Amino acid sequence: MTFLEYLQSRRELLLAQTLEHATIVLMSVALATVIGVLIALWTYRNPRARALATGVAAAMLTIPSFALLGLLIAPLGLGYAPTLVALTMYALLPILRNTIVGLSEIDPALTEAARGIGMSRLRSLATVEIPLAWPVILTGIRVSTQMTMGIAAIGAYVGGPGLGNQIFSGLANLGGVNSLNQALVGTVGVIVLALTVDFALALLGKLTQAGQRPKLFRPRLARRPALTPATAVPSPSLGGRE
Amino acid sequence: MSRDVMIDLQQVSKFYRGQKAPVVENMSMTIQQGEIIVLVGPSGCGKTTTMKMINRLIEPSSGRILIDGTDVTALDGNDLRRQIGYVIQQVGLFPHMSVATNVGLVPRMLGWDRKRIEARADELLHLVGLEPAIYRNRLPRQLSGGQQQRVGVARALAADPPVMLMDEPFGATDPMTRDRLQNEFLRLQEQLRKTIVFVTHDFDEAIKMGTRIAVLGDRSKIRQFDTPENLLANPADSTVAQFIGRGARLKQLDLRRVDAITWEDVPLIAPDKATNGAKRQLEQAEGSSALTVDADNRPLRWVNAHDLTTDAGALAGAGQTVTTVEPQATLRDALDAMLASRDGAAVVVDEHGRYAGTVTLDGLMQVIHHTPEPEEPGAGVPDQRAGAAPAAELTPEQR
Repeated sequence: MTFLEYLQSRRELLLAQTLEHATIVLMSVALATVIGVLIALWTYRNPRARALATGVAAAMLTIPSFALLGLLIAPLGLGYAPTLVALTMYALLPILRNTIVGLSEIDPALTEAARGIGMSRLRSLATVEIPLAWPVILTGIRVSTQMTMGIAAIGAYVGGPGLGNQIFSGLANLGGVNSLNQALVGTVGVIVLALTVDFALALLGKLTQAGQRPKLFRPRLARRPALTPATAVPSPSLGGRE
Repeated sequence: MSRDVMIDLQQVSKFYRGQKAPVVENMSMTIQQGEIIVLVGPSGCGKTTTMKMINRLIEPSSGRILIDGTDVTALDGNDLRRQIGYVIQQVGLFPHMSVATNVGLVPRMLGWDRKRIEARADELLHLVGLEPAIYRNRLPRQLSGGQQQRVGVARALAADPPVMLMDEPFGATDPMTRDRLQNEFLRLQEQLRKTIVFVTHDFDEAIKMGTRIAVLGDRSKIRQFDTPENLLANPADSTVAQFIGRGARLKQLDLRRVDAITWEDVPLIAPDKATNGAKRQLEQAEGSSALTVDADNRPLRWVNAHDLTTDAGALAGAGQTVTTVEPQATLRDALDAMLASRDGAAVVVDEHGRYAGTVTLDGLMQVIHHTPEPEEPGAGVPDQRAGAAPAAELTPEQR
């Protein structure tokens, strides 16, 4: 059976596994985003708490994935749960660290201005700080997504969902009829999926970047020189540029 | 006293944990409605801390602050700050929001409806000299520094707060822009009559902007609190004098305007008059110079009898160039114009450029030496031991 024939014959199973793979990755990244951003908001103003949080997250990242998944079997059993938890733990660091960086790099004058005009802490975060840190946070989310795509394949070892099942069964019956096809389809599938999701996130970034008008509005800005004569129109004081 | 007390600082202090000396110690100050009070002093003297305690960006450790009779601690800090305009040196416009959104932030927090917020933003942009149709949808980074600070002022004015706090608002702009922003702001203030606390370390800015100036020393101790005129004429102590710097007399010239001094008349010579007639006119006037004017009475050149004898022909081209000032110009501008003219006189012209009179160095000297001296020497000196309150009480009547 050739690779294409294999794809053809297992079309429905492969599609289902790809969707499962994408789902568990996106779920764990979403979970990690919520947890990571909350921890970042809670710690970013305090250097010691910040160091502790990133330290713990970094330590979790150094645990080999096989070991972590294996360890999680004891409390969580087999299947979906240990995979989701492990992936979330791995996804945490890039998001947490980028959120902290993004928030602490905001010009202090802006947070002072926000406070000075009477914004509550929550409003300042929601309307000023998080929108401004968003591009950096999103970069963290993209890194996490890429990373967990690969690790998710190993989740099949503890009975998790996704394309890892193809790889593992291919490796299990090495020399068998479809072993190479299975390993190949799993690997290529993960890569294609990772690239697709990354592209989607990049697009999301373009559309949501704070302070950057979406491309749709660009033509209006490009026409700005045509407006310049109007700046010379007499106004009570001056409307032109200094 | 016709005006009401707007801001009242009573024995306000600020301590920080772990620091022995307070940053602000027993500061008392009474500010009338409609005044621009400038807090000026060396960096680290606590002037910004003092200002920030008024809107409770920094909580006072002790003492009371009353705004329009209400203790500021009676209000929620955020509610309080929405009622007080706040302008900072770095402007602090939010870069991801349009100019109009930035301006409308406080009204939005106060729950105005969208239409009203938009109308208000346009009104304010117009007020600060930015054409709303052009600027409302721009992002802050598409504006020059001066324009950004105009938007910053508009944002602070959005909910029409009676009190404004300004922390070196024009400090980050180049000198030319700063001068223009200062002038525009003073013009705005004539309409708005806000009560303003203005912090700067630039004494010249203090003189220009202040109704009254508080020169602060360490721990925000008031060394002198007085009108710019009195401060320049009678510095309370050597530290204040040092802070004023050299050229106090010259700085006084900034405070007075051409229309406040007496103008002198010079003979005018209409352009069509024959030279001989003009000469006779000059001799009759017994002055050394006369002014040629055009048909609309606009000054052209200075001429004297000598010019008329050497050139028997037309008057055009004879004599010295004329320097003019408008009645609203400061005496410093007038002095500059006098120095630029060989005759040591500047011609005052009205808004259409027509002759109105002349000012001379002699006239200027008289004004400088008529600057009111205090009734007794040292009247402006605050009693150092009793704190600054006496100085604050001395002054309101003096302007």
